Amino acid sequence: MTETTSGPGSDRDADIVCRQVRKVYNANGRLLEAVRNADFTVADGEFVALLGPSGCGKSTLLMMIGGIESITSGEIYAGGEPVTGPRREFGIMLQDPTLLPWKSAMDNVMFPIDMMRLSRRQYMDRALELLHTIGLAGFERSKPRELSGGMRQRVAICRALISDPRVLLMDEPFSALDAMTRDEMNILMLDLWETYRKTAIFVTHSIREAVLLSDRVLVMRDRPSTIISDTSIPFPRPRSIGLGETPEFNELCAMLRDLIEVARSDGAAQGGAAS
Amino acid sequence: MKDQPQVLPVEGSVIEGPGRYRRRLTALSRQALLAAVLPIVTAVTALLVWELLVRQSGIAHSILPPPSAIFDKLAGFLGLLLKHAVPTTYETLVAFAISIPLGIVLAAIMIYSPPINRALYANLVFFQLIPKIALAPMFIVWLGIGAESRVAFSIFICFFPILISTVTGLQAVDRDMLRLCKAVGASDLQVLIHVRFPYSFPYIFAGMKVAVTLAIIGVVVGEFIASTEGLGYLILFASSRQQTDLGLAAITVLCVVGLMFYALVVLSEMVIEKFYGSH
Repeated sequence: MTETTSGPGSDRDADIVCRQVRKVYNANGRLLEAVRNADFTVADGEFVALLGPSGCGKSTLLMMIGGIESITSGEIYAGGEPVTGPRREFGIMLQDPTLLPWKSAMDNVMFPIDMMRLSRRQYMDRALELLHTIGLAGFERSKPRELSGGMRQRVAICRALISDPRVLLMDEPFSALDAMTRDEMNILMLDLWETYRKTAIFVTHSIREAVLLSDRVLVMRDRPSTIISDTSIPFPRPRSIGLGETPEFNELCAMLRDLIEVARSDGAAQGGAAS
Repeated sequence: MKDQPQVLPVEGSVIEGPGRYRRRLTALSRQALLAAVLPIVTAVTALLVWELLVRQSGIAHSILPPPSAIFDKLAGFLGLLLKHAVPTTYETLVAFAISIPLGIVLAAIMIYSPPINRALYANLVFFQLIPKIALAPMFIVWLGIGAESRVAFSIFICFFPILISTVTGLQAVDRDMLRLCKAVGASDLQVLIHVRFPYSFPYIFAGMKVAVTLAIIGVVVGEFIASTEGLGYLILFASSRQQTDLGLAAITVLCVVGLMFYALVVLSEMVIEKFYGSH
């Protein structure tokens, strides 16, 4: 279903463009197709969720967009330029906070600046501001072991934002957190969005999270790993967590759930026939 | 009682002080006491049994001297023992000090160069398996009877554990961390210095703990084969003259030297752990 490209976000104002992106792994002689013909665009300043079951290749797709994984075939453009490797204009968040345990919260936030050999002094104030905005004032000197899971992921958010990237790539950043902390992080994400509006791709397997946070939801299926739908989320911003209580919100969630369910039973039937 | 007890209280005794502090201390001290006292009691008992058995059985002191005779020799020949301890300690220190950077640098090269890794790794594992002690006489042939051959042989047997454990440690960094490094554009050298190396400290120290005892073994074996000084030479000299008590006194000094080196490694690990530990 490649017709999905003609959905919201035309090429003209597109920031991220994926054209027939495919990823094939060689796993001990067996070829595994992790992503098949992903074809979509993300407009400048748009928040897009990539929603799908575990292992459907959505993280691989995100890593290809980030220039961390190689592309087997197809093309990816960011800001009009082809992506061939990691780019400074990308900020990245992974499922684990991946903080260096011996560095303070502050130094972990500054890690990209250190690695990019940028002036520490120049970004120090921004790091402090980010840590304050995100509710970690007073924890600048704390080591990761002294922080809770949610606080660690907050540090990771600051780290992703420190170099003022144009694009944020997030790979299930809250899926390892407990439900309450996750809600808290979603609220935080909505607030941050109002402050630092950026182009964002957010990988998740939570339907509610995808609908709450994003402007568009791309549903990805498994076997074959491909994008099957592109849904606009019409709710106005600023949004609050209360949005999740509205019937419109739940209708959208139900619709997406149906899509995933159909794809799954379809995939199971195909998978059974293939093997 | 005029003076308050300064040491940890024996079971049941009470230290004067705030109740909360006292309770914590007694609970802590009971465990600490058990942990510290039991091994000492065991060792002292063993020495006493040894002393008694030797005295009762009338076994010749040249075969098995009692601990008291060894202590006598230790006190009487302390100057001689220390004189011989110096070259052994020095050569061990040099060998160990060379092995650490050698093992770590080679490990880093192997991690970053897959061809070198492939070329070396299987051979290194093979080298690990051969009884390296058997090569000691060859080092004398190659490098003479001076300190060089002993230091070289000591490096030869003690740098492998450091190399192997460092390789393991450098590879132990999780995939997401490496992805993050890649995403922020960190160079290989930056990743090595800022991420891989600090993450591998526990592995490196585990290797160093094995290596430090091997370093001493290497030097002593070298001294056994050809030397005119050192504790290994003294042990060989004493046993050839049936001065078993002097030999055992030299071994005691050797144990102390070994413990010192081990303590040095543990101490540096504690310092590093303070800055780089995750707990």
